[in-house]
Amino acid sequence: MIYPDVVQLAVPFFIVAIAVELAWIVIKGRGGRYETRDALTSLLMGAGNVASGILLGFVAYGFFMWLWALTPLDLGNSLWVIALCFVLDDLRYYWVHRFGHRIRWVWASHVNHHSSQHYNLTTALRQTWTGTFTFMMIVRAPLILLGFHPAMVLFVGGLNLIYQFWIHTEAITRLPRWVEAVMNTPSHHRVHHGRNARYLDANYAGVFIIWDRMFGTFVPELDSDRPDYGLVQNLGTFNPLRVAFHEWIGIWRDVTQPGLTVSERLKYAFAAPGYSHDGSRDTSQAIKAKHLARSPDDAGTPGFS
Amino acid sequence: MPLSVLLILVAGGIGGIALVLHLLGLSRIPPLTEGRARAGWLREYPDAVPEQISVAASGRAALVRTAQGAGLVWAVGADTTARRLIAPRLTDTAQGLQVRLRDPAAPHITLRLTDTERQTWRAALTGEPT
Repeated sequence: MIYPDVVQLAVPFFIVAIAVELAWIVIKGRGGRYETRDALTSLLMGAGNVASGILLGFVAYGFFMWLWALTPLDLGNSLWVIALCFVLDDLRYYWVHRFGHRIRWVWASHVNHHSSQHYNLTTALRQTWTGTFTFMMIVRAPLILLGFHPAMVLFVGGLNLIYQFWIHTEAITRLPRWVEAVMNTPSHHRVHHGRNARYLDANYAGVFIIWDRMFGTFVPELDSDRPDYGLVQNLGTFNPLRVAFHEWIGIWRDVTQPGLTVSERLKYAFAAPGYSHDGSRDTSQAIKAKHLARSPDDAGTPGFS
Repeated sequence: MPLSVLLILVAGGIGGIALVLHLLGLSRIPPLTEGRARAGWLREYPDAVPEQISVAASGRAALVRTAQGAGLVWAVGADTTARRLIAPRLTDTAQGLQVRLRDPAAPHITLRLTDTERQTWRAALTGEPT
């Protein structure tokens, strides 16, 4: 069975949807905001992501085909198998995404997606150029070894990415309660993009928000604490090369500075973002603790429990 | 999808969206006010309360003095970012100052300053007398 590259096929839909969202915001005067250079940077990051997939996709696919040759299992290509693969791959996405925020080596690839101070459909396309170097393709290995064909796994991964496109918007406030209970929605994902102390390290879901509810990382969007988008320390540039590589450069400089122990060097690469050997930076946990010191009434509220 | 079609779609889409945004006036940079500079600083350094804020006449940057030292807030498109400055490398330019930082996410800041601002900001950022 031949599975199409659905992300490439979705490019015309992405362009039309951005035009519709922009028209909505301009006509209604609400539902988000756009800015030329920010949007241009996001779109260039998206184009670079497609290019890196074309150039480096063979690494992951080669690894998956090697695993496929090892496994004696083959679940076939029925619709039920594809549906099951989609759900299990979404669970895979949850963990890769969680690692992406908790391990600096993976964050270096993912940080660019959070680097816009805007939240609109172009933000969805601000994707990594360096995902291959995180080696997170390993997390897909169990799916292949269980008998899901590599082409199917990549196909459902593409569907997952397309699903996540439309939730990058402020034009949709809340959806019916059952949808918000099960699915990742614009509201849930706005929380994920929030740099507010309350919203750090929350809502890692791709398609199904149930993973966050199951693993204790769900935080609801509060009307009293609107998400403030961007990074804890925002970028001072729109240069796509800086956006793509700044955290990798930061890791290199930190790891190679003189006078550190081996353990400290490893922590600069693999501990949580914000780790520093001298306490000069803050991790998400430290940011939350400092927030509670300033605003003790927030203790026990969502994101601080 | 053939690569040539994909390239045309991507290039045309990016160029078209950027052109429409610019024609809609969405390239404008709103000027910094003292209030925006204060909010922009506290967004990034909530524990370092500004004691004094000087907004440049250009409206693109503000010098922030705190008990922990000086820093800058500057416009990044319609938004801002901020940095504490510890031993920055400063270069005079025709339009003001260029600040170089050892920060891959903000390697340099181009400040548009009057001559008077350049002197006072340089002194504040380096601790040198004017």
